[in-house]
Order: sequence, then C-alpha cells, then structure tokens
Amino acid sequence: MHLTISTTYMEGQRMKKVLATTMAVMMMGTLIACSSQTDSKASSGDSQSSPAAATTYPIKTDKTLTYWGELNGNLTGVKTAHSEVPFFQDWQKKTGVPLKFTAPATGQAKEALNVMLASGDLPDMIEYNFQSDFPGGPEKAIKDGYILKLNDLIDKYAPNLKKYLKEHPDVDKLVKTDNGSYYAFPFIRGDEYLQVFQGPIIRKDWLDELGLPVPETIDEWTTTLRAFKEKKGAAAPLSFISKPRFFNESYNGAFLGAFGVNRNFYIENNEIKFGPAESGFKDYLNQFHQWYQEGLLDKNIATVDTKALDGGLASGATGASIGNAGGGIGKWQPLVQAKDAKANLVAAPYPVLKKGDIAKFGQKASPFDTGGMVAVTSKSKDPVLAVKLLDYGYSEEGHMFFNFGTEGVSYQMENGYPKYTDLLMKNPDKLAPAQTISMYARGSYNGPFVQDKRYAEQFFVLQTQRDAIDVWKKTEADKYGLPPLTPTPEESSEYAKIMNDINTLVDEMTLKIILGNEPVSSFDSYVAKMKSLKLDRAIEIQKAALDRFNKR
Amino acid sequence: MAATQTLDKAHTVKSRAGTNRYVRDFILNKYLYIMMVPVLAYYAIFHYAPMYGALIAFKDYSPMKGILGSDWVGLQNFHDFFGSYYFWRILKNTIIISLYSLIFEFPAPIVLALLINEVRSKAFKRVAQTITYMPYFISLVVICGIITDFTNADGIINRLFMTMGYDGQAMLQKPELFRPIYILSEIWQRIGWESIIYIAALMSIDQEQYEAARMDGASRWKQILHITLPGIMPTIAIMFILRMGNLLNVGFEKIILLYNPVTYDTADVISSFVYRKGLLEFGWSYSSAVGLFNSLINLVLLISANYISRKVNESSLW
Repeated sequence: MHLTISTTYMEGQRMKKVLATTMAVMMMGTLIACSSQTDSKASSGDSQSSPAAATTYPIKTDKTLTYWGELNGNLTGVKTAHSEVPFFQDWQKKTGVPLKFTAPATGQAKEALNVMLASGDLPDMIEYNFQSDFPGGPEKAIKDGYILKLNDLIDKYAPNLKKYLKEHPDVDKLVKTDNGSYYAFPFIRGDEYLQVFQGPIIRKDWLDELGLPVPETIDEWTTTLRAFKEKKGAAAPLSFISKPRFFNESYNGAFLGAFGVNRNFYIENNEIKFGPAESGFKDYLNQFHQWYQEGLLDKNIATVDTKALDGGLASGATGASIGNAGGGIGKWQPLVQAKDAKANLVAAPYPVLKKGDIAKFGQKASPFDTGGMVAVTSKSKDPVLAVKLLDYGYSEEGHMFFNFGTEGVSYQMENGYPKYTDLLMKNPDKLAPAQTISMYARGSYNGPFVQDKRYAEQFFVLQTQRDAIDVWKKTEADKYGLPPLTPTPEESSEYAKIMNDINTLVDEMTLKIILGNEPVSSFDSYVAKMKSLKLDRAIEIQKAALDRFNKR
Repeated sequence: MAATQTLDKAHTVKSRAGTNRYVRDFILNKYLYIMMVPVLAYYAIFHYAPMYGALIAFKDYSPMKGILGSDWVGLQNFHDFFGSYYFWRILKNTIIISLYSLIFEFPAPIVLALLINEVRSKAFKRVAQTITYMPYFISLVVICGIITDFTNADGIINRLFMTMGYDGQAMLQKPELFRPIYILSEIWQRIGWESIIYIAALMSIDQEQYEAARMDGASRWKQILHITLPGIMPTIAIMFILRMGNLLNVGFEKIILLYNPVTYDTADVISSFVYRKGLLEFGWSYSSAVGLFNSLINLVLLISANYISRKVNESSLW
C-alpha cells in the first residue's frame, strides 16, 4: 500500500485521484488504519533510517506551495506580509521550496479560516490551532476532509519529527488524537523553563515606597491595592484585559486559584470539575465585587483592551496586572519608566488565601503548545513535498534556524552558544527584541519546531523577567490541570453547543456579580441554570475524553 | 392623422390577440427592454441564485460535500434555535431595539428636515446640513471607539456629569443604558444623511400653496401641519415601509463592538447571535436557519406595512 502511494507521487499529478482514494480508504476506519500502521512498523522496522527517508535540503523542486497563516502580532506595524519577513524568505531558500503566503488579518484568523473552509478553496498548508480553536477538534477536521491524517506521511517523509517523538513519548502522546492520528506539525516547548511565562505583575517601586512586601495572600493584595489607590492616587489599581472575555488571562486560574478553582474544567480526586460551578468561584466573585466597589479594580473593567491597559500602566493609574514576562514586563517596563525613572515592575506569586500555601492554579503551558501548528490540507497539490518542508524545523539545522535565525546575521556561535546579534538585541531602528527576533526567527513565538531554552535566556533581557519565571512556576497547575483533550467528532458538536451557552452564562454571571448588578447570592441560581444547560453532560464528555487520553 | 390611425390599429391588434400584443410591445419598446436586461441579470445572479444556498438551513452543511451533497436534517436547525436557552432573550432584544429605533430614530431626520426648511438664511442651512451629515461617513469602528472612550468612567460625558455632582460610572457596563446609547449614537450618525431625502421632497412642494395659506392668515405652525407634512407624506410612507422590511435587521457590527457580557441582557440580538454561531463556531447551517427565520419575519412585516399603508395612505410600494 505504501509503495503504491510513493510511486504515484513520483509519477506525477495525474494519479492524484488514486492517492485521494487511498487516503480516503485509510481514513475510513481507524481500526484498519491502525492495523496497517502496525503492520508497516513491524515489516519496515529498521527501514525508517534508510536513506530513502532522509531529506536533503534544499529540496530540488519547481512546484510552489501555498501557505495560510496569521502573521505574528509581534510584527504588527513592522511588516505587513510574510513575503517581506526575512525569516520566511530564508525558510524558502533553506528548504528549496517556493512558498506563496496568505495571511488573515491579525486576530481574525478564526473568521477568515471559516470563510476559507466554506469556500472549499484550500491552500497546501494551514497554520492554525486545530486542537482548541477548531470547532469539533482535529478528528473532525480530518473526518470532514479539510486536513490530512499525517501518520503515513510522517512515517515515510518526516524522519526528524518522527525521531523527536520517538525520543519523547510523553510529547508524542500529546500531539496525536485519541485515535492515534497525527494531524499537524506541532509546536513543542523543548524545556520546562519555556512552559511558564505568565502571572501577576506589580509596581515594585510603589511597594518599596509604601514599605509593603510583594503581596502573597488575597488579604495582602487588598492592603496593597488600597495603598496604591489612597497613597499613590491610582484610579484603577488592579486592571486586566477583558476582551474578548472578562479577565482573559484568568482562564489559567490567576486569583481564582486562591479560591481553589479556575475558569475551566480541572481534575480533583479523579473527578472532573467545572470551576465556575464550584463554591470557590462564589468566594472569588465576592472578593472581586468588594474590590470593585472599593475602587481597587478598574472601573471600566468590562471594556478594558490591550490599548487601555497599556495606557493605564503608562499613566500610573494602574499598579498591578496580569501579563507575560516578554509581552508584559518586557513591554510595560519602558512604558512606566518613561513617566517615572524609578518605576520597576516585578512578578508577584500567584495569590493564595493562607500565607505559605501554594496556588492551586497558574499558567503552565503544555509542552505541546497548541498554537503555531501546521496542517497539510486534503487539497494539497503535493502533500509529500509539504511534509518534507515542514519536517525541516525538527532537523538540527532547522532547529537553529527556527530558534535563532541565520548564523552571521541574527546569531553568532560563541563557545557553542548561539548568541543573538546586536541587530536583534540592540536594533539600530529601535525595534524591541520581541519584534526583531520575530523578523529573523520564530523562537519568540511559535511554529512547526521545537523551542530552545537558549532563546528565552537571551530574550528575557531584564533580571526581573528571568526572576518572574521562577516566581510564577510555583503552582500546582500540573496536578489539577487537564491535558489537551480531544472529543470525538460525534461528541464535539454536542459539547460545543453546551459549552457555548454555559460560557456565555459564566461571563454574564461573573461580570454582573462583580459589578454589583446582581447580588453574590444569585450565584446559586446561575449554577442551577448551568445544570439545566446540561453541564453534567459536558463533564461526562470531558471525562470520557480524559479516559481515552490516558489510554493513548 | 396618420399617427392616430396606427395607434388605432395597434389598439385593435392588442384587443384581438394576446400574444401579438406582447410581440408588438416588444418591437415598439425594444431598447427599453434591452436596457432592462443587465438589471434583471443582476437580480437573477446576485439575488435569486444565492437563495439556493439557503438550502443549507435544512442540511448539515459541510463544504467538502457541497450544498447538494450534505445530509438533510429537516427542521433540526430551527428546532435547535427555537429551543435554545437564549432564543426569547435575543428575539426580545431585537424587537425592542428595532422598535426604539422606529420610534426615536425614524422621525428624527423628518424633524431635522422641517427645521432646516424653516430657516431663512441659506448659508446657515448649508452649514447645518453639512455638519449633520458628516458623521455618516465615519467608519463604524471609529464611531464605536469614540463611543467607548466618551462613555468610560473617566470619559468626557462622565466628566460633565461629575461637574454636576454625579459619580462617574462606565456607561457601557450598565445594561439599562445600552439601548439609549445605541439609539442616540445611531441618530447622531445618521440624522443628517437620512434627512436629505426629506429635504428633497420639501423642495417639490408648490410655493404658491404657502402664499395662499399666508393670505388666509395661517401661522407657520399651521403651514407645517397642513401643507408641508401632507406634502412629504408619500415620501414618509415609502421610507416607513422600507424601514419595516428591515425591522429585525439590527446590524451585528455595532452591537458586537459595543456589548460585553454585562449588557448581553439588553444588547444581544439575533444578528450578533448568528455571528457568534456562524462565524466563530462554524455553525453554517444553524446560522442560515436563524437568518432565514429573520428574513421571513421581515417579509411578513413588509407586506403588512405595505397593505396598511395602501389602505390608510393610498401610497404603497406595489
């Protein structure tokens, strides 16, 4: 079977139909596919490292492949198209595959993908989060015929990725579906150090001036915020982004974690729970309502977006928020310093109720970060070429290229350590490192490769940024968080329907209670409504998905 | 004389055979008919052909299978919508916002047109007209940005209130304020533009009527009541009927730019719901079903408004 495929490719495009049918047959029943896979593994066990599998770059081809993906937000205002970005130009040169890029407007990838899928006119490759942003999940994307199941192609044409996954079985388990289907070339965080990057951030200079310690408990936060408001004249002491959802960053459990919940599903005592329906959430609402009433929380909290938050921090109206080490501290430090030379932002630990406790939740990304993955579509002119191109990022050469760019231009080897050049770190055009690194490499965001710790060591220019990671990593997120689960295509639409209604309800409940439109006691009636919207069924689906995950 | 004869002939031909009549008519007016072709083609291609796509409301649409190849699900999508937890709320909000805009926004340009009409100074008229229709050309995203900034807790409107001793509060976080903000900003943006058609209608009123009324001693108010308003009534009626046909089409753009979960209660409408379902959750069939339902209601409203207008006002679309 496999032989047929490869020869049809070599013969050319005329036989595409044969391939399509073959693929369809393979997709038809997972059982069949699975068994045929094991067969192939058994029969060609050692042929994986045979020269036929290895690709020499640059590949010689006259075909141009099409690539759809969002241009990273770091490049907003710097470059307008992939084709202008040195990294994407060099990627084509190094792999030898000419690419034609299409990009949706930043922040509108979902709408744009939707329209593209509906048109049926698909490019060869799509860079999109099929794990969490595709309604129905990756299995449905394969079943509906948008993207290819890659198991076979990876087996034969992606030796680098295959090798990595073989060496890291825990990652391997994450990047495939319950059925064992590979659906995209994943973005992998190659070190635990890279998995934590977000948490509470606070004005240390204010704290020092007021003689206060970095707050650890909720009570200390109250005291601190009150002092910010009264003594520093902060109009919105604590603020955070609420677009598109209220307190966006709290999905990982910041502040909520003190009350033992997050805003999603989590696992406790082998049971799956939904944070907003647990009693801890009521305590959280109560606390935030008090803060709001006292003026400790931004008065415009429901409408705060990135721009408003940046403005609040820069003007000194806001003294604490939630953000990333790079995009938070890194971005805001120069802003606050512009107004007040002494200003200094540091990380605060995830708040707890009792001093000495460790927060139950906090941001910790899975080694398989679901952003930046690239799938090959069913309409691809040449899936083999696409797979070979995408496999480059996992090769040794590609690893350096994706993380650090081109030697001599964006990095220099110094005693075996790839050091970003001044072009990136002290850019003559006054661009921030986050922007310049994104021009020459993808180390600072994501893509089809394994991220290198050495990027972060340099990217975090400030000591406060490097310290932040150590402060924020002290949570029990590993213990209570769920791995990336994939519902079955059948369950997924039911699950999506239920959760859409419930999440709307949660957003309404959260804001109405915090802003005081409704009393805290109305929480219980909201939980009853969630139950009537079949929350239990959603939990059941999650439980089943978790069981399947554990069996992978 | 010869002309009358041909006309007579044509008349007799017409009454004799029906088909001949059409052929003759076509020959007589062939250029008019040819000129109509592009318009007809436009409607056929861009308005009628896409209606076939409405089929997906009754299917479980998957682009890879195509419209015809997707599986039929009958009225499942409609059932889901009517049975949805938020159905009554979004229907209620849509109707209320529509009615508010009918009551407050629809008469506003008429009033403006009457006011401008009464002004004597030509220069002032022109300046006033230009100023009032300017906002119409500002992009909606910008308008909504302005609204958000103005209504913030420390926005300009609140500062004004604060000088009068009130407390500043983020107005977009108050469900009860959403509709007024929506309608008032709508009036502000569209009043000048929409008054143009009424001003044009006012121009066509015979000035001699006013002179006669003045001679009979009618005050300005009486003139407005008895000459101006009846004079533009047909225009008002047509605008009203057209408006009814769009009654439930509360555009989603402005809503989604201004709402947030606290104001869902008063702000979430059918179109914003369709946006969330169709564009964000890939529920093509479901949102088509909702859209179809919306259009159906609009059609019924349009027909009934037209009927009533024909009875009461003797002016109608058909």
